[in-house]
Amino acid sequence: MIKAEHLLKTFTKNEKKNKKIDINAVDDISLTVGEGEIVGILGPNGAGKTTLLRMLSKLMKPTSGLVSIKIGEEEITDDIEVKRHIGYLSNNTKLYGRLSTRELLQMLGVLYGMSEEETEKKISEICEVLSMENFMDNRIEKLSTGQTQRASIARCLVHNPQVYIFDEPTLGLDILSSAAIIEFMKKEREKGKTILYSTHYMEEAEYLCDRIIMIHQGKIISEGTPTELKQQTGKDNLRDVFAELIEREGIADEH
Amino acid sequence: MNTKIIKTLVKKEILDVFRDKKTVIMMLVVPVLLYPLIFIGAMTVVSMISSGMEKQTYRVAVDAQDEGAFLQKLEQAKEELQTQGSDDESSEAERDTEEATYELVLIDADSISDYEEALNAEEIDAYISGQMQDGRMQYDIYYLSSVTNSSYAKSIVMDIFDEYKEEMTKEKIIEAGLDVHEILEPVGYEGEDIASSEQSLGSIIGSILPFMLIVSLLMGTMYPAIDTTAGERERGTLETILTLPVTNRQLIVSKFLTVAMIGIISAMLNIISMGGIAFYMYQIMDLQSDAQAFDLMQFVPALLVCILAILAFSLFISAVTMCVTAFAKTYKEANNYITPLMLVVMFVGYIGFIPNIEFNQTMAMMPVANICLLIKNMLIFKIDYALIAIVLISNVAYALFAILFLSKIYDSEAILFGDGKAGMQLFEKRSNLKKGGVPSMSDVWFVFALTTMLFLYGGTILQVNYGLWGVFGSQMILLGVPLLVVWYTKKDMKQTYGLQKAKAAGYVGGFFQIIGMFCIMLVVSTLMIKLFPDSASNITNVFSELMDGSLVESLLVIAVTPAICEELLFRGVMFQSMKKRYRISTAIILVGVIFGLYHMSLVKFIPTGLLGAVLCYTAYKTGSIYPAMMMHFVNNALSVVISYFPEQIGKVFPIFYEELKLSESLILLGVGLILFSIGQIILRRSYGSNK
Repeated sequence: MIKAEHLLKTFTKNEKKNKKIDINAVDDISLTVGEGEIVGILGPNGAGKTTLLRMLSKLMKPTSGLVSIKIGEEEITDDIEVKRHIGYLSNNTKLYGRLSTRELLQMLGVLYGMSEEETEKKISEICEVLSMENFMDNRIEKLSTGQTQRASIARCLVHNPQVYIFDEPTLGLDILSSAAIIEFMKKEREKGKTILYSTHYMEEAEYLCDRIIMIHQGKIISEGTPTELKQQTGKDNLRDVFAELIEREGIADEH
Repeated sequence: MNTKIIKTLVKKEILDVFRDKKTVIMMLVVPVLLYPLIFIGAMTVVSMISSGMEKQTYRVAVDAQDEGAFLQKLEQAKEELQTQGSDDESSEAERDTEEATYELVLIDADSISDYEEALNAEEIDAYISGQMQDGRMQYDIYYLSSVTNSSYAKSIVMDIFDEYKEEMTKEKIIEAGLDVHEILEPVGYEGEDIASSEQSLGSIIGSILPFMLIVSLLMGTMYPAIDTTAGERERGTLETILTLPVTNRQLIVSKFLTVAMIGIISAMLNIISMGGIAFYMYQIMDLQSDAQAFDLMQFVPALLVCILAILAFSLFISAVTMCVTAFAKTYKEANNYITPLMLVVMFVGYIGFIPNIEFNQTMAMMPVANICLLIKNMLIFKIDYALIAIVLISNVAYALFAILFLSKIYDSEAILFGDGKAGMQLFEKRSNLKKGGVPSMSDVWFVFALTTMLFLYGGTILQVNYGLWGVFGSQMILLGVPLLVVWYTKKDMKQTYGLQKAKAAGYVGGFFQIIGMFCIMLVVSTLMIKLFPDSASNITNVFSELMDGSLVESLLVIAVTPAICEELLFRGVMFQSMKKRYRISTAIILVGVIFGLYHMSLVKFIPTGLLGAVLCYTAYKTGSIYPAMMMHFVNNALSVVISYFPEQIGKVFPIFYEELKLSESLILLGVGLILFSIGQIILRRSYGSNK
């Protein structure tokens, strides 16, 4: 389980020439994602999704607020310890092009404090699940987009994390590759993992998510199961729900 | 720190760096091939020149009213050259083979109507005209310095004139019936080089090697430094590595170790490559002439120190280059940032070529220059263990300082996710900056680094050239540089410099404290001087030189100016910014240590460090810089006055001039501690015991 309490992140932005404005990229967001649950974060560009996910995975320090994860009865708040249990993937987490996938995974095994056998076992398991046998030893820079994305997933799998945080994992992928990722998330949910992810694809969110959190300008504007959100707005698909909610906020979508 | 994590990260960095062809070529292949290529190139050029010279003929025309006397001499010289060129078995004069590589051709002077025209048209290379003047022949040799052949011809002719003159002198002496040898050589003298062949070899190597090493280390660390910092950001892997359960410090340390290791490998390759060429040349020379034999074993200690110096310098230069490249977002940007650094380092590295630079404790602390001078001195067998230690320790200390700074930068989100300026407002447009507050820590460290560099180099030059007023100038550096930055970043002057009014009790307490401190410092200094007698004599020398001016001048420059300038930097900008971000005790200790280091002397470090900490404490307690300024003034003024009136003060307080006995030391220490405590009590009474 991952929990965020009153997260706030303030950036100072240069507005025009002589003005500096403090902007709350994430403005007092609290959320909880339980075990065996997939929660989708939806929102227009610049809504604060990436900042929120970065803080949740401890890449960024919140201006105020707390992030913690719970494994069994144990609550963990220490940055480094939390990172140990999180698999984070975004478009900015590129892989070392000059290493092979196998070398990368072996290195990660050590850094996550796994034994050599443990790592090797995990690698061959991942290799089979993601069918990566034929390019495991090629340099990552030589791989195709789909192969690279699979290598990226392998990267966040290797330490068998309890919590997955994915920032737009299917962006720019072909149907086959994104279907593979969606299948992967479903399987992990069945294993009782906690999954939080952001996307722009409404159909995908509707199909996959147990709950959806809509954010706009750093704030949660609505939260619930896809069905609840539809009832709330009286619309019959998520795309319209999204548009309706943003409109209710009284601000035109920049998207 | 977890060594397993560091080891894995270093392994990853090294794999990553070594799989990049560009980096490998730049840092390994180029240096290794460079020296042989330079050598082959030089050899080719030399052989081209010498083969070109063999065919050279010089055409000389003579028009002299000496009845052909000099012409005859020329003919004779020409003949000598020819016999030597064809068959030198029988030649009686043993000349260098080089001199036979040219030929003289005498041109009939009548065929030349205008010698200037002929010279310009290169029909002749030299034109000699001779007239009788005041009873003797005066010859003028016309030539063109802009034409190589003409210059050569002129110097050949001059040589022949020398010989001609000598012959004539001898003739005259004999005519006068005197002894030639006695007149021409009334005394005998000869220079005898007592330097061992190893020493001469060392001095030659010592002037070139340091520069070569510094440049090769710089080149060797440059690319890995860029690759592991800006390169990682450009390739987008930084965010990936941040998702790992690894601390920033582990990350920085492993990157730093990687860069330093590659730097060392590259430097070693350079040395091997250079050494190989040197050995090859030595072998060739050995065959040609009976070159002196060298006892290479004598160089072993120098070599060991050189290797230590290389290690220390590679730590230093890796840390410095990484500090620069960490600010860049891309490879290209990093390259731009590193160019000025390269120029500065190379410029300072030239110091090895300058003869007669004294290698003292101050120089031993100057980055880059210290490594050059250390290697140079080791190679001429001038070994001073204290200096070796200072050089090695200061390099490691600078590296640690830089790495600490770097891990601070890497912690900041501005550099990880933002525009890469790491809270350095200094590099932002002034119009974008908000008013108020105190400088950011990154700015403070940057200002300090910049001020230190300027102070070390500029200040030293000023002090050496202008004595007392040079000290004043270097104080202005301390004041001016930070002030510019504070102004540029629009900081609140009052807050940044602690320009608040203090209560009277603040001054009174401060006064008691400083008098107490003065006694304590005297005892501590005596102890330090006992421990390090060499560096102590150094200080007294410098100090007495500064006392040349009048008392008022000395007080102004040595007491008033530092009380203002040093306080505004250390207890102002530095302390006021630190106390906002660090724990108060950390800030006080840190400023104390920096203040101690700034005095650049082994003996002064502890006393001035203590003083710095006490001044910080007072500034913190009173919330104002003014009591600290007053204390600083009192302390420095006391020293000046004491050294100005040794006799008068000596009658009352002989302890200032004589060596302290143990009992006196203890009494002085006791008095100092009591006075200091009174000061403390006054401060605490009036400002509260603890905030």
